[in-house]
Amino acid sequence: MSPRSRTQGRRALILALPLLWLLGASGCAVQAYQRERLVDRIMAFEADSRENARKLKAWEAREGSTGGVGGDGGGCACK
Amino acid sequence: MQVMRRMRPWACAIAATAAGASACAAAPLTDEPTLGTMFRMFTDSDKVGVRSMTSDFALPMPGSTTLAVHFNNERVVIPAVAAPAGTQEAVDAITTASRPISGNAFEDFIKVRNEVTTTLTRGPASVEYYVSSESDYLAQQLGGKWSRDFRDQTMTVSFASSYGWDRIQPLADDDTDTGARSKTTWHGNVIGTGVLSPSTLLRVGAEVNLVHGLQHNAYRNVYAGGSNVSERHPEDRQRRDAFVRLHQYFSQRSSLKLSYRLYNDDWGISSHELESRLSQYLKQGLSSRYVYRWYTQTAADFYRDEYASVDGIDGYRSGDYRMDELSSHLFGVALHADLDALAVPSPWMRRFALWLSYERYFNRNNYSANILETGLDFRFQ
Repeated sequence: MSPRSRTQGRRALILALPLLWLLGASGCAVQAYQRERLVDRIMAFEADSRENARKLKAWEAREGSTGGVGGDGGGCACK
Repeated sequence: MQVMRRMRPWACAIAATAAGASACAAAPLTDEPTLGTMFRMFTDSDKVGVRSMTSDFALPMPGSTTLAVHFNNERVVIPAVAAPAGTQEAVDAITTASRPISGNAFEDFIKVRNEVTTTLTRGPASVEYYVSSESDYLAQQLGGKWSRDFRDQTMTVSFASSYGWDRIQPLADDDTDTGARSKTTWHGNVIGTGVLSPSTLLRVGAEVNLVHGLQHNAYRNVYAGGSNVSERHPEDRQRRDAFVRLHQYFSQRSSLKLSYRLYNDDWGISSHELESRLSQYLKQGLSSRYVYRWYTQTAADFYRDEYASVDGIDGYRSGDYRMDELSSHLFGVALHADLDALAVPSPWMRRFALWLSYERYFNRNNYSANILETGLDFRFQ
């Protein structure tokens, strides 16, 4: 691994850790009946999944990177 | 038919694996069978054209199980090389798409690709098998995913992994001699999704890909040290990225989706991607969407515009502009109509949803593309 790659890896870690902390510390106050907007087609993650998968292939054919479309909504009404 | 024959043993394997997946009391992902179709046209400034026809079918089954099948048929037209095969002008396939230069290079090269993905989801677990077949490439992938909810279902964490194995059998080419090769890819990711407020969602994730095998264009030559030699990239590549997506709903029945991705690999490429999607309901059941995407990357360590020696850099040489510094922009607009919400008179027509999308992509290598998509979704009940 090149020094530049190591630096970028550390940046990714620095980026991810506080966001994961934020994720873990939030959401406690939102009840199930308050989530109507979150399952709206213009909000839900799941609504974009097919499109994102298609675009990933398109970007891989035209650019040098990949990723960023994985995920699973599970049962939290935020698919 | 070739694809379907190859799929049969794997479809059986998936079914057997899924049968052993753990049971869960969670509701199925879909409540009723759905069928979606899409037609996509892609044309670019290199005159490459791609026509895609896709179908997606989801079938809820007993026991919190859902079977989803995705099929895609693509017809790719790669234009003629405007020079006789073997001449300096024809040493490259001139586009990032793969085409051999054999016999009459003045003719368009047409390639057909078929792709099938089968996903079986049971409760929090799912398994997936993917196969893609074209005249010189067979790709297969087997993957699994597991997720768990926390904090009264306001947070979900998922883990996914997949293993892909590709077989590459280059067609006859007048100026390269790449034999049968292979490529394997292991993918792993961990992703968290959270409800921050009644109108805010956040998703963060990290992914790793370990790739081994042929990773350059089997038909491309590179002008190096005064002669034409085959392109050669390293056989191993470690790719990783982290991303964050924030979705915010506004009171005027609109939403803003922001995303950022940081990527790097051990070839020396680092990239940033920013995207925004603004959606707005025009009336009940009819919405519009506006997209902007910005992307930038650094060059691979071994990429040069010109190579002084046939050995390139550490034995590697590339004519692939994706290995160079690059930046790109994309603008798009889309319309989505849900005929049920629009309250059309026919009950049968209310089962349909329609959408239309146009995007314009361009990058700093004087490359541009138009992407037009039309889609039709159907609910059986």
